[in-house]
Amino acid sequence: MMAGQDTRRPRSARGDTTMVTLSLGGELVGIPTGILREVIEPGTITRVPNASAFCGGLFNVRGAVVPLTDLRIPLRMRISPPTEETRILVLDVVLDGTPAVVGILAEEVHEVTEVSGASLEEVPTVGARWPRHFVEAIGRKGDRFFLIPDLDAIFSEHLSSSEAVVALHA
Amino acid sequence: MSNDADDLFLIEARQLAESLEAGLLDMKSRPEDRTLVDSVFRDLHTLKGSGAMFGHTALATFLHDFETAFDAVREGRFAVTAALIDLGLRACDHAVTLLEGGEAAPGQALLAELTALISGGDAPAAAPAEEGAAPEEGAGSGDWQMAFRLAADCLVLGARPQVLLDELRALGATDLNPDFDALPTLIDLEPDRLYIGWRLRLPGHVTEAEIREVFLFNEEDLRLELTREPAGPPPEVEAATAPPAAGPVAMAAAPTPPAAPPRERTMMRVPAERLDEMMNRVGELVIAEARLAELVARTGDAQLVAVAEEIQRLATGMRETTMSIRMTPIDSITSRFRRLIHDLNGALGKSILFEVEGEETELDKTVIELLADPLMHLIRNSADHGLELPEVRRAAGKPEAGTIRLSARYSGAEVVITLADDGRGLDVGRIRARAEERGLVAPEAELDEQATLALILQPGFSTAETVTELSGRGVGMDVVKRTVEQLRGTIEVESVPGQGTRIHMRLPLTLAIIDGLLVEIAGERYTIPLAAVEHIIELPEEHAKRGDGSRFLNIRDQLVPFLRMRELLGSEGPPAPFQKVVVATAGELRVGLTVDRIIGSSQTVIKQLSPLHSTLKTFSGATVLGDGSVALILDVPQLVAFGQIRDSMEAA
Amino acid sequence: MSHVLVVDDSVSVRRLITSTLRMAGYQTIEAGDGQAALTAVRSAMPAAVITDQNMPNLDGIGFIRAFRQMPGSAGVPVIFLSTENADTLKQKAREAGAIGWMTKPFDDQKLLGVIRKVLGR
Repeated sequence: MMAGQDTRRPRSARGDTTMVTLSLGGELVGIPTGILREVIEPGTITRVPNASAFCGGLFNVRGAVVPLTDLRIPLRMRISPPTEETRILVLDVVLDGTPAVVGILAEEVHEVTEVSGASLEEVPTVGARWPRHFVEAIGRKGDRFFLIPDLDAIFSEHLSSSEAVVALHA
Repeated sequence: MSNDADDLFLIEARQLAESLEAGLLDMKSRPEDRTLVDSVFRDLHTLKGSGAMFGHTALATFLHDFETAFDAVREGRFAVTAALIDLGLRACDHAVTLLEGGEAAPGQALLAELTALISGGDAPAAAPAEEGAAPEEGAGSGDWQMAFRLAADCLVLGARPQVLLDELRALGATDLNPDFDALPTLIDLEPDRLYIGWRLRLPGHVTEAEIREVFLFNEEDLRLELTREPAGPPPEVEAATAPPAAGPVAMAAAPTPPAAPPRERTMMRVPAERLDEMMNRVGELVIAEARLAELVARTGDAQLVAVAEEIQRLATGMRETTMSIRMTPIDSITSRFRRLIHDLNGALGKSILFEVEGEETELDKTVIELLADPLMHLIRNSADHGLELPEVRRAAGKPEAGTIRLSARYSGAEVVITLADDGRGLDVGRIRARAEERGLVAPEAELDEQATLALILQPGFSTAETVTELSGRGVGMDVVKRTVEQLRGTIEVESVPGQGTRIHMRLPLTLAIIDGLLVEIAGERYTIPLAAVEHIIELPEEHAKRGDGSRFLNIRDQLVPFLRMRELLGSEGPPAPFQKVVVATAGELRVGLTVDRIIGSSQTVIKQLSPLHSTLKTFSGATVLGDGSVALILDVPQLVAFGQIRDSMEAA
Repeated sequence: MSHVLVVDDSVSVRRLITSTLRMAGYQTIEAGDGQAALTAVRSAMPAAVITDQNMPNLDGIGFIRAFRQMPGSAGVPVIFLSTENADTLKQKAREAGAIGWMTKPFDDQKLLGVIRKVLGR
């Protein structure tokens, strides 16, 4: 499902956004602060049996049960075990047409930064190891690049793909 | 602000129309029941009165005659007949049409029928009695001489003579003097009686109407003498108005009101969002309370423990009350079914009895509303296709009247709603043929009876050659199935040819807060709805070995399929010694769930799973435990079903 | 603090009456039937009562009778609502202790006029 590509606006039409940058799979990722509810330290994560690796956990935020997702899976990034710096970003997203709250894992959270629409670039067609349809754009801050994931595309893909359907087989 | 009242009126009016219809239908079986007649009359009267208040004059006028007719019934001057009830029901429909702005014309026909029915007409038009001679404008401009005396008990009733006098003064009264003629001696003076009268003059331009206006609400026992002074026509002398009846007052109704029909309860309308909010708050309270209990237990402080227990008791009470608020008994929709059967009786030429069992069974309000249309469809189907014509039934040795029965009951953590008829049953052969025709099943596929019957729930299937006006409204059997599944329920079709058909709908009780049994499997915690737990036993030694392929336990001489939860959940590590088996039920079926340890039971707040996890059928939701961690709730009906599948796979 | 007690089993009619009264600056309290009205009166004696006749549990006339038995009710005017001009009913209401009546339907102006008259302001 190439939803991301269809809805992507031309670079020039994108406005400026405030983003929080984080480390994931050894790379930098940017998430718009507009959808960020809070950043928390991981507490007890409950394993969801038979769920895909992308959303294998559940955690509690002020009484709400929120699924924990790992963007490293769809973005094919290197997976490393959690450290002291590991955090969870609690986000407001849209799942299946309805607003929902999800958490994404972050190996380390860096600063919040202003990103201008003009500075964003398309994902190069060659040489990029991330699935293009999951990445909205590449951002650049000074001499560093960071990846802006297309969260809508990632979540839609997960909801419809067969990997998420696990039958009751022991 | 009046818009608010207008909206309320429409809601209220519809409610009244429903209550009216229900009352009329009940009267069919209990025509002599006075409380029913009274309640029908009261509904008519209230609907008429408030209808008039909110500008629905057509409605008020229309209902007036029906009200009068029922008044006649109430007073025993006219008997309740099937024709009257039928007319009443049609009037009810017309009233609803009028409320929705429909044509008033059909009402005339109904009223004509009513008149014909009650011919010999006892519709006493209340002749308004005059309260005195019609006011007359004095042709001349002579001043008025007035003397008046109010009723002796008027002060007790709240009259304010001083206000009256002020008003008269405002009209221009002069020479105002009290009249103490009626004043008794001190001993006989009763402090709350008015003995004083007044005399005064009023200018000639004041009309009699204006004067009367002043005495509004004081007309009873008013002695008013009004004389025009010469300069105009002959003096007008007012006689005293009719004195009150001297004798004891005869009341139509007894001083103590008749026992209200059980339906009467003080009801309140609350927007559903507020209820949801309240449920959320109570849910959060339950979670917080659990955490408190845990922390307090650790301190061991007896006083704290006592207070924590008290809070738990209060939280439980609140939870039960809030849960019950959204729960509505199924009888809130059964009246429309009764109405449907009543109509079908006539239209189909069949005699149909409708029975309801378990009307007081409660379900979440939204669930009931979603079920209403599917149930209507099923009932129509039964009546139309299931039940045979009277001759056919007689020939088959069945009672002429066919019976359709709706029953609702609780079963563990579910509610089971069954619609049964004693008609001709389903023809498995025809169903199979039809399904093949429609491409729903390959000719060589082997299906047992259960599976074949289930074919009628597939979209694209329809056994009726002609979709009759009654059953073909776009609510196919597949929509029924979809609705039930949307509510996380299951639907099952059962039939015996020649004897009848039964359709069972199993729905989970969608309570937001349930009692949960907390268990531990491989160090992870899960919750099982306590209502679904039948009992807990130790896993027998012989099954405890890992890799043991057995799938059944012998529990009280019954073979119960059991699932090793560790395997199902992909848990790691060796099983604990002395595993337990939680025997859970869904409907008539059981399954044993093997767990490492039983931790205990507690109230758990059910949180919906994210759409990301909705495909995982093993779990029906999640909950937050006392220590803040999340525990998944096992979906018992799914696990039971899985146990059955395993069972049949084993057998194969 | 004085208030007007409005007694009618129809929520919408009560709402109509109380909103009219409140907009004119009166305080109001509502009851859905005669029994509830008696309870309301026991906790706070109103300055005036407007009551319908046809209500479950205890009807208008029943309420007025009981009300008049209560000490403290002396001097409190009760207005009786009726849907028709049936004189017998009005007579009974008067005997029970109502000071007067209003026929339904009535509009806000009429209502306010009556209340002003009865409360003297």
